[in-house]
Amino acid sequence: MSELQKSGIFAPKVIEEIQAKAESGLYSIRGFGTLRERRWPTFDDLTFLPCSLTRIPLEGYREKCSTKTVLGTRFAKKPIALDIPVMITGMSWGALSYNAKVALAKGAAAAGSSNTTGDGGMLQAERENSRTLIYEVLPSRYGINIHHMRVADAIELTIGQGAKPGTGGLLLGSKVSDRIAEQRDLPLGVDQRSPARHPDFLGPDDMIIKVEELREATDWQVPIFIKLGATRVYDDVKLAAKAGADVIVVDGMEGGTGASPAIFQEHTGLPTLAAVSEARCALEDVGLYGAVQLIIAGGIRDGADAAKAMALGADACYIGTAALIALNCNKPIYEDDYRAIGAAPHACHHCHTGRCPVGITTQDPDLMKRLDIEQGAERVRNLLQVMTSEIQMLARACGKSDVHHLEPEDMAALTLEASAICGIPLVGTRKVFRH
Amino acid sequence: MAEIDAAGRSTREINSAIRRLIAESSKEITVRNPGARHNLAVAILDEVHILVAGSVGYYCGGLIDGASIEIEGSAGWGVAESMLSGTVRVHGNVGSGAAAAIRGGTVVIHGDAAARLGVSMKGGTVIVAGNCGYMAGFMAQKGTLIVCGDAGEAFADSMYATICYVGGKIANLGTDAVLAPLDSNEAEQLERTLNCYLPPSLRGAKPVAADFKKVVAGRKLWNFDKRDWRIWQEAL
Repeated sequence: MSELQKSGIFAPKVIEEIQAKAESGLYSIRGFGTLRERRWPTFDDLTFLPCSLTRIPLEGYREKCSTKTVLGTRFAKKPIALDIPVMITGMSWGALSYNAKVALAKGAAAAGSSNTTGDGGMLQAERENSRTLIYEVLPSRYGINIHHMRVADAIELTIGQGAKPGTGGLLLGSKVSDRIAEQRDLPLGVDQRSPARHPDFLGPDDMIIKVEELREATDWQVPIFIKLGATRVYDDVKLAAKAGADVIVVDGMEGGTGASPAIFQEHTGLPTLAAVSEARCALEDVGLYGAVQLIIAGGIRDGADAAKAMALGADACYIGTAALIALNCNKPIYEDDYRAIGAAPHACHHCHTGRCPVGITTQDPDLMKRLDIEQGAERVRNLLQVMTSEIQMLARACGKSDVHHLEPEDMAALTLEASAICGIPLVGTRKVFRH
Repeated sequence: MAEIDAAGRSTREINSAIRRLIAESSKEITVRNPGARHNLAVAILDEVHILVAGSVGYYCGGLIDGASIEIEGSAGWGVAESMLSGTVRVHGNVGSGAAAAIRGGTVVIHGDAAARLGVSMKGGTVIVAGNCGYMAGFMAQKGTLIVCGDAGEAFADSMYATICYVGGKIANLGTDAVLAPLDSNEAEQLERTLNCYLPPSLRGAKPVAADFKKVVAGRKLWNFDKRDWRIWQEAL
């Protein structure tokens, strides 16, 4: 008997979603990031071309391949120097538990890398356990504190986020605990919406003045990063460079979030692969490629993704979701608690509920205890080090004595789209399919 | 009284000179000829009084903690933004986003304020002797916002727990802003605050505190409820 045919447009999942909206009167809010099947060009559409006869590879155990990463060389008196090019992105204390924030700080420090505050201000324990701490200045200005800025190693002025560009943060009431409400100057238990715009500047010209203010406030010592959600990347990067950024962060649509309307996660922004390509073009076109460092974020999972982003022009990568997965996000433990919130291991995107079964995206003291800070930090360190080793392996195989020497020529495109986006030849051809 | 002549000097040079004088234990500093430069006297963390003898650009007195900044002229956008404590007094008018995101301290404006006065303020007290533009108090979280004159459109829109007082007319209230009764104790406290911070020449012409209107959040945006869909439609 032939199977009854289902609509490809109104597929079962679509029918369920429409009926859920009709019954609840609510749009979907959730965490994690886009759940769409990846049909857009990604780093998976590129392959490295290691050395053979035309180039000589480096010996893995004998010949050095530097991973030292220096950011903020344009204007700052004290650029940050990291041992590795993989950094921890900004995630707020509020979205994340205390234990998660401290574990990320300790893990990053142990690996010689950096971590970043987030939309809730700085946690003292975060500073104490960080080697290099980047302090985010976001539109909400929750927890803004000049003393915290003064002890940071870099300032990141955040304009947007890859998972939800053009809109503010969201922290549902279940996570606005006593401590979080106090830190953010909010009433206990409110569904907190962060503003989408900064309160004291609107466009790129005002931002030039804001950047100068941050420089004056930190005595021109530390680098100023400007972080952009990937949308009109080519223009935005040029404007950020004009505004005086030392470092520009571009966060692609595969980036994660603690909570946002699902429609943003699924229907806004540019893929990270396209974002890095546009960002590099923009910096080259204004003669600042190399002078302004570029950090790429958004769905970076392993050393291959990071190495490809670097070969395309990034100086370093941020990881967020991957770091949380290292902390046990979506691990098949406490499975009853996943089920209780309508999730399952490997299919949990319920960060917004505050009921994270593994103690990462929660403010519940009992759940938080499930994340041991020392063990979590060890796993974060391990992941950062393994990712770095993977980048080094690929770089050595491409004959590079420094991971930052990776270049587009070290890769070929597996799809026409990737060739067009990245400006590198399609496999099996010698052509760049780019107008 | 130490003096800095800002004429012909960059913001960097002026601020460095201020910091040098503070390091040399100056408690009273006058900046002459400020020429409306941006970012003057930002992030001052010492208990000093800085008199700016003229008008300033954006963010004057931003990110301070404990300092007293007095601007004899007018100020551009974001005066005193994100301050933790201290006082910023402006004799003239201020641009948009004055006292944005302040977490403490007091901002006193003798003239008028443009749009988004006290936007996202998280504490402290803002007093405007004159009028304010649209969306004053937008998304304000805590603290007290006092406008002695008239308030522009969408006043106190989408607030959390800031308390606002307006002596004159309110063009219209913002989303979820509601009028609340002003009891006698509160009126007395308001009167004391106004008398404390406003010079008699300004205070005398303004309404008595008991005649001020009090505006607070209606709390319908604090937690999402589908029954309030129409108000959320306006807010988001």
